[in-house]
Amino acid sequence: MRPAPATVRRLLLVLVLMLWELVPRAGLLPELFLPSLSRTLGVLVQNWAEYAHALVVTLYEVVLAMLIACGAGILIGALVGGLSLLRQLLLPVVSSLYAVPIVILYPIFTAWLGVGSQSKIAFAGVYGFFPVMLSTAAGIQSIDQNLLLAARSMGASLPQQITRVVIPATMPTVLAGLRLGGALAIIGVVVSEMLTAAAGIGYLVSKYRTVLDSPRVFAAILMILVLSVLFDALARWVERRTLAWQTAGLRERGAPMRKETYVGATGAA
Amino acid sequence: MRRSALILTRLALLATILAAWEWSPRMGLLNAALLPPLSDVLAMLVSILGRSQVQEAIGVTAGEVVLAFVIAMPIGAGIGVLAAESDYFGQIFRPMLFYAFSIPKSIFLPMFILVFGIGFQQKVAYAAFSTVFIVIMSAAAAVESVKADHVLVARSYGATWAQVLTRVYVPSMLPFLLETLRIAMIFNLTGVMIAEMYASRSGIGQLIASWGENFQMPQLFAAVVLLAVVAIAFNETVRWLEARCSTWRT
Amino acid sequence: MQHVANLSGLRATHAQAAAIEVAGLSHVYGAREGTVPALEDISLTVGAGRFVVIVGPSGCGKTSLLMMMAGLRRQTSGTILCAGRPIEMPDPGRVGVVFQEASLFPWLTALDNIEFPLSIRHAPREERRRRADAMLNLVGLAGFGGRYPHELSGGMKQRVSIARGLVQDPPVLLMDEPFAALDEQTRMTMGHELLRIWSQTNKTVVFVTHSLTEAVYLADEVLVMSARPGRIIDRTEVTLPRPRTYEMMATDVFGRLREHIWQQIRKVT
Repeated sequence: MRPAPATVRRLLLVLVLMLWELVPRAGLLPELFLPSLSRTLGVLVQNWAEYAHALVVTLYEVVLAMLIACGAGILIGALVGGLSLLRQLLLPVVSSLYAVPIVILYPIFTAWLGVGSQSKIAFAGVYGFFPVMLSTAAGIQSIDQNLLLAARSMGASLPQQITRVVIPATMPTVLAGLRLGGALAIIGVVVSEMLTAAAGIGYLVSKYRTVLDSPRVFAAILMILVLSVLFDALARWVERRTLAWQTAGLRERGAPMRKETYVGATGAA
Repeated sequence: MRRSALILTRLALLATILAAWEWSPRMGLLNAALLPPLSDVLAMLVSILGRSQVQEAIGVTAGEVVLAFVIAMPIGAGIGVLAAESDYFGQIFRPMLFYAFSIPKSIFLPMFILVFGIGFQQKVAYAAFSTVFIVIMSAAAAVESVKADHVLVARSYGATWAQVLTRVYVPSMLPFLLETLRIAMIFNLTGVMIAEMYASRSGIGQLIASWGENFQMPQLFAAVVLLAVVAIAFNETVRWLEARCSTWRT
Repeated sequence: MQHVANLSGLRATHAQAAAIEVAGLSHVYGAREGTVPALEDISLTVGAGRFVVIVGPSGCGKTSLLMMMAGLRRQTSGTILCAGRPIEMPDPGRVGVVFQEASLFPWLTALDNIEFPLSIRHAPREERRRRADAMLNLVGLAGFGGRYPHELSGGMKQRVSIARGLVQDPPVLLMDEPFAALDEQTRMTMGHELLRIWSQTNKTVVFVTHSLTEAVYLADEVLVMSARPGRIIDRTEVTLPRPRTYEMMATDVFGRLREHIWQQIRKVT
């Protein structure tokens, strides 16, 4: 009897954590390359004040970037998705622009907005904007027209059609887009903090790397990993709760990848 | 809207944006120090392409991009095919793969630097690392896209495995494989750029970062434009190829 | 059920006259090469409480005609009166519509779907619940109110759709090939169920179908439409007694009626 896949995954995770602890201790890899898990955690706890402060800075930037990305993304996505003229005009252009690594624009942001939080928020906001916009546009575009016809036949006014049909119908795609956009906002903040910053967790990574203080570097890496995973788990939880009415994988049946998922996942990811 | 009208409108939009880029700084609407006029940027582009330092950087970046790609594709494709062929394997690793996309892979850069130093190898390794995940996912999707029905029909006519491979799998998968190539390159280029901008002594990314630090805006914009054009050109070429191979696809 | 039957009884005395009157209705589409006549000079009268079926070749405009009767589309000329007043926009209090696609909102339970027309009109919660429950019972789905559409079979979804069309107690029910997407056995059961519901509620029904068997089985009167332009070319009274039974399908009378209608359709195909 084979163990369930979920169990295997958990076992793998435990295995990785064990290796993280034992391999450096056993001297198989120098502590410089991989400090043991206990060392890393120890350093994190000892210097908690510094890390906590960095976390606050990063979270602040992430939240604002997400607000920009999600707000603008939904608004513009709804416009582009709803107006077929805009859609035909702009969507192919956007997907062509996707080929360009957005990270090369970051120095422009720092030149315009300085090295502080503003440039990071702006950059990460732009980074997270695209998946949200594309998902919202796709969601609006793919609404089942029969549902709108049925609503009209029942006497729903236009505002009612929007609030009672369009919004619930596009919810699945929009929520998935928000999850992706949020993840990219985090990535955008982390990358920009690593590149040019004076505060934040990404900055700590760079700062301690230059002095070859591996435990501190890994402590910061660990924090970022936990942050990403927590956000992802939270977003998926929200999706599950709001979309209890959907059959499992209703949308993603068949080929596991759709263009939107690809497109949204590009970048430093 | 008809195709011709669409294309014309897009060109008109593009022209407007380019015109704005040219005239806003010149008319003082935007600070010319922060946004050099388009013509200045283009002139600078021509100029930097002539410099040996820049040509060297282009060579280095190109080398990294190609090598990382050549490493990531087979590894990723191999794992991806395995994941698609073995249900069990796939079920275990698919959720983990999705997680891999929401994690900032750039946080592992320091690890690569610690191991490889700040050189060519580190950038190639990191870029390959960045790319391999999307290749795994795409390859798995490509294999899965081959309809079981088609395979069944072929085998019922007595096709050998080799024939099934070449006559059903390959034509079915070709559009997907091209798509994989296209998207993998996007990830690849991004990975190379991040590595070069972060800690490197050569490559276009390093030039971009350094020009940005020193407020040499015309050079910065010129490099960004150059890179954007190359990236988009590659992207559209592969897309066009995809379209040519996909005429049979619904 | 008691409540609904009483209400219908009241209605019947008011609308002894025709429930629907269509007079001189014509419709043209403006195509690039000039106008295309879709419907030409259609006049028909449907008496209160009658079950009228419209058949015709594909593209003859029967769905368009139904859409106009529902107020979902505007004809270019001619009038449609329902209970004496013109129909110009959807009016679920006068005309209920059931489409081929059940078009239930997947994010609402069966009961919530049935309540939808009432909640759009901001009817008080108590009344909404009461009437929706009554409809649920009427269509034979008592106990299934809490299910989501993806948990219902095709036949059950159509029952919910019918319940939703009837929840505001309109005197007229329009049905556009409601059973076309169901398998044959479910179709027959649903047809039988529909007749039961109709006899209990005394509605006027206009039913569009491709199936001649279904037409003869259900109808008081069968209208045959021609194609391009759509015109009514034949009216046939179905003289079979009510309540209809499956056994009637094997009788000579049934066969002759069906044959006659088929001949009419062949003339215009």
